[in-house]
Amino acid sequence: MSALIIFALLLALMLTGMPISISLGLTVLTFLFTMTTVPIESVALKLFTGIEKFEIMAIPFFILAGNFLTHGGVARRMIRFASSMVGHWHGGLGLAGVMACALFAAVSGSSPATVVAIGSIILPAMVKQGFPTRFGAGVITTSGALGILIPPSIVMVMYAVATSGQLVIGPNGTPVTSASVGQLFIAGVIPGLMLATLLGITTWYRAWKNDYPRLPRASWAERIKALSESFWGLFLIVIVIGGIYTGAFTPTEAAAMSAVYAFVVAVFVYRDMKLREVGKVLLDSASMSAMLLYIITNAVLFSFLMTSENIPQAMAGWMVDQGLGWITFLLFVNVLLLLAGNVMEPSSIVLIMAPILFPVAVRLGIDPVHFGILIVVNMEVGMCHPPVGLNLYVASGITKMGITELTVAVWPWLMTMLGFLVLVTYWPELSLFLPRMLGML
Amino acid sequence: MLRLLDRLEEAIIAFLIGAATLIIFFAVVHRYGLGFMAKSVANFNAWGLPALAGAARSIYRTMAGINMTWAQELTIYMFVWMAKFGAAYGVRTGIHVGVDVLINQLQARTRVGFILFGLLAGALFTGIVGSLGANFVWHMAHTDQTSADLEVPMWLVYLCVPLGSWLMSFRFLQVAVSYWKTGELPKHDHSHVAGLDEEEAKA
Repeated sequence: MSALIIFALLLALMLTGMPISISLGLTVLTFLFTMTTVPIESVALKLFTGIEKFEIMAIPFFILAGNFLTHGGVARRMIRFASSMVGHWHGGLGLAGVMACALFAAVSGSSPATVVAIGSIILPAMVKQGFPTRFGAGVITTSGALGILIPPSIVMVMYAVATSGQLVIGPNGTPVTSASVGQLFIAGVIPGLMLATLLGITTWYRAWKNDYPRLPRASWAERIKALSESFWGLFLIVIVIGGIYTGAFTPTEAAAMSAVYAFVVAVFVYRDMKLREVGKVLLDSASMSAMLLYIITNAVLFSFLMTSENIPQAMAGWMVDQGLGWITFLLFVNVLLLLAGNVMEPSSIVLIMAPILFPVAVRLGIDPVHFGILIVVNMEVGMCHPPVGLNLYVASGITKMGITELTVAVWPWLMTMLGFLVLVTYWPELSLFLPRMLGML
Repeated sequence: MLRLLDRLEEAIIAFLIGAATLIIFFAVVHRYGLGFMAKSVANFNAWGLPALAGAARSIYRTMAGINMTWAQELTIYMFVWMAKFGAAYGVRTGIHVGVDVLINQLQARTRVGFILFGLLAGALFTGIVGSLGANFVWHMAHTDQTSADLEVPMWLVYLCVPLGSWLMSFRFLQVAVSYWKTGELPKHDHSHVAGLDEEEAKA
């Protein structure tokens, strides 16, 4: 009963259009003041301790690093490298766009940032070459979503934070530990590369059918030159993934290192950013991080309320009693998350849904890492379709296309992503193979 | 006066994120630097370069003298402060997003009502949280609890909650008043990135 009231209240408050963090907070407060015996002091304490975890601090660092990279000319050099490698195939710049997005995704943890960084440079160039705007917008909107699947990924950090610290019980009654940020990052590599390839194939096929322009084949000398120019940006992949995998850095430290590195590259190596612009970048990154941290604080409160009312546990028990297997459950999760993707942005969905769904998933024997990757792919799909797909809005800002027109434009790639989602959902080894092989599971 | 508050707010959060990044960076460099220096001493000795080995040893001693264990704790506190004040700044710039699918379908007049309701609810929530926080800090100040590594009094650390939340509440009211008067909301444009206009010109 109380679960129903909590959700109804949250839904009602959210639909008034107030910030999600505020509706979460107000729901918790209302519930505490009127219906429960949980002392208000323990909540006050949660308000302070909610974000006092070192892992969460990876989020502001990754945002900062991403902003330095976006401004610092790293994206431009990656595009040049990508077009010298694949530009002469069908799809030309479009295919190069997919590859550039995948490369940039490997240094940035956010999807909209990837769309901005790659899209604002490559889309005007594509239009100039004679590609229809729709085609370019479709490619970049969906490929930009790779930003959260290919590590580093802010959404993965959110998932790790949202599910950590819960006592969850596996199908045979033993406690199961939640997925760590490092495990999730490594698990994202193979699905990320695979989705990039699938999006590339879609692009290639559409371009081949419509005979879109191709670039002249670049010589190996040109390719090596482009590679050496983008070396400083690409080396960041080694720092982040290599550093986390070898255990040299914790994910948070890796994020801080990459922020400093990106700053040095942007200001002193490429010199595409002036020192006086640094203050603005710091301010923008800080305000974006603060917004996310504020949602986290309130989501922590909310999931504390859920747990103290025993809601996830009750749901898990109910699912098991109904004899629902993991196949039905994952179908339900996908539908639920895709629906939620229609009204909320990814970080809020992960923070609200993951703590509730996670105990059920574990109870049904689903691996925490696999479940995390599945949620991330779901969020990717959500970012690319209306009404709230952030990637769509970013792309519409760059291309000046309306949302409706863009929705039509992304359709072929969105279908590819949905197909990929089914694959990720029902083929756990796809996500689990690499971390297991590297001995991280 | 208000302008001063705005600038101060911006300066604080930009400083906090920048400084926190540098602290973690130096903590990591310090950790690996120690190992590197220790190895250098051994290597220089093995190669028969006692002068360099001596130099490396003195660098090692100096570095080992710097204690960086507080770095992690300090960064966390800096980020908590940044989060509280940054959230207030975010209200002013309209970065806090909500679900506006439904209210966008409504007639203009009803919509104004909903938006004002949302802003006032924000002011109410942050106001309550600020007061809860102030109460908490007040009780904390009567204990002598200090943080684990830095040993600063905890009430000072937690002071960001009442200050940040009340500032945020004030910002919500500010935005509500200006919306009531002018009908305009601050809107954060995710697609705009400063500095990219020049890039486009170059491309």
